[in-house]
Amino acid sequence: MEDVLDEVVSSEDLQKFEKIFHEQLHQGNVTHKAQFEYAWCLVRSKYPTDIRKGILLLKELFNSHSEGKRDYLFYLAIGNARIKEYNKALHYVKLFLEIEPANQQVLTLERQINKRMEKEGLIGMAVAGGAVLAIGGLVGLGIALASSKK
Amino acid sequence: MDYIATLKILVIGESGVGKSSIILAFTTGDYNASFPATIGVDYKCKVMEVNGMKVKLGIWDTAGQERYRTLTNSFYREAHGAILVYDVSEPKTLQKLNEWVEELQVYTTKKNIVCLVVGNKIDKPRVVPREAGQAFAQKHRMLFIESSAKTQEGINLAFEELVQKIIETPGLWETTGSSSNIRVSTEEARPQEESCYGSCTI
Repeated sequence: MEDVLDEVVSSEDLQKFEKIFHEQLHQGNVTHKAQFEYAWCLVRSKYPTDIRKGILLLKELFNSHSEGKRDYLFYLAIGNARIKEYNKALHYVKLFLEIEPANQQVLTLERQINKRMEKEGLIGMAVAGGAVLAIGGLVGLGIALASSKK
Repeated sequence: MDYIATLKILVIGESGVGKSSIILAFTTGDYNASFPATIGVDYKCKVMEVNGMKVKLGIWDTAGQERYRTLTNSFYREAHGAILVYDVSEPKTLQKLNEWVEELQVYTTKKNIVCLVVGNKIDKPRVVPREAGQAFAQKHRMLFIESSAKTQEGINLAFEELVQKIIETPGLWETTGSSSNIRVSTEEARPQEESCYGSCTI
């Protein structure tokens, strides 16, 4: 493991906090604590659908519970970075740094997100390059077929 | 790979005792007077040399705040070492370490995990005598050291002592079954000289 973005929640933890959340949901009274604990597990899941669900729960908390704002912002950034929504992740990092400009933890996260963008940007270009080659090949084949029909 | 093992080190204790500052001092030599509360769990890596062997430390910095208490204990799993920090200018933080010891006992998975008690902030006016910290550590069979993240005093020594003890504890880090924690390469391992580490290459 190199950084916090690699860290994955254990399935026991996810199940444990999911159960508490759903019990409270069933009773019609979800506490901030239970919602945050469940969301905290979800954004660290290996499944993007879980992460997206966690992001929704965190957004809801962010809008309704001012006390935990820094925690919610931090995990909104982590969740978005983990589903490769890097621009959204950096947006939350920026919001956080407006409150605490020198926060080491968040500055480190920002560096990690930028590093990943850089790395995956290059991979993206390579894939695009491959596609261009493939299309070029098809066009060439088309021309060859067309000319052979003459 | 230039290190023979990856060790998981956990840093726990009350909020504000200087856990993150100790890790920052150890990993970078820096000090930050106004460290904000850690969010959730932070992770830092450092390669250090012990007995001429390089080991990689994965240091887990846990939030001391109450709201994270139920969340952070899953990080205790598979830890090889734990650093329990209190503040020598705040007696309550030493008393509260009792609760952290209980958490450790419940959630650690390695029976012979090496623990170190650190009395931090010795640059400040002392309220907790050194003997009190020492007695606490002795009672729980843990190592003990006093430090100041601000002046760097005791910081390196704390990690050296802890890692040294982990390395000397056979069975703690050799064949644990959890392969991701161990990276021993055959050419670096010298089982004929020191039997405490095997040669499982991953």
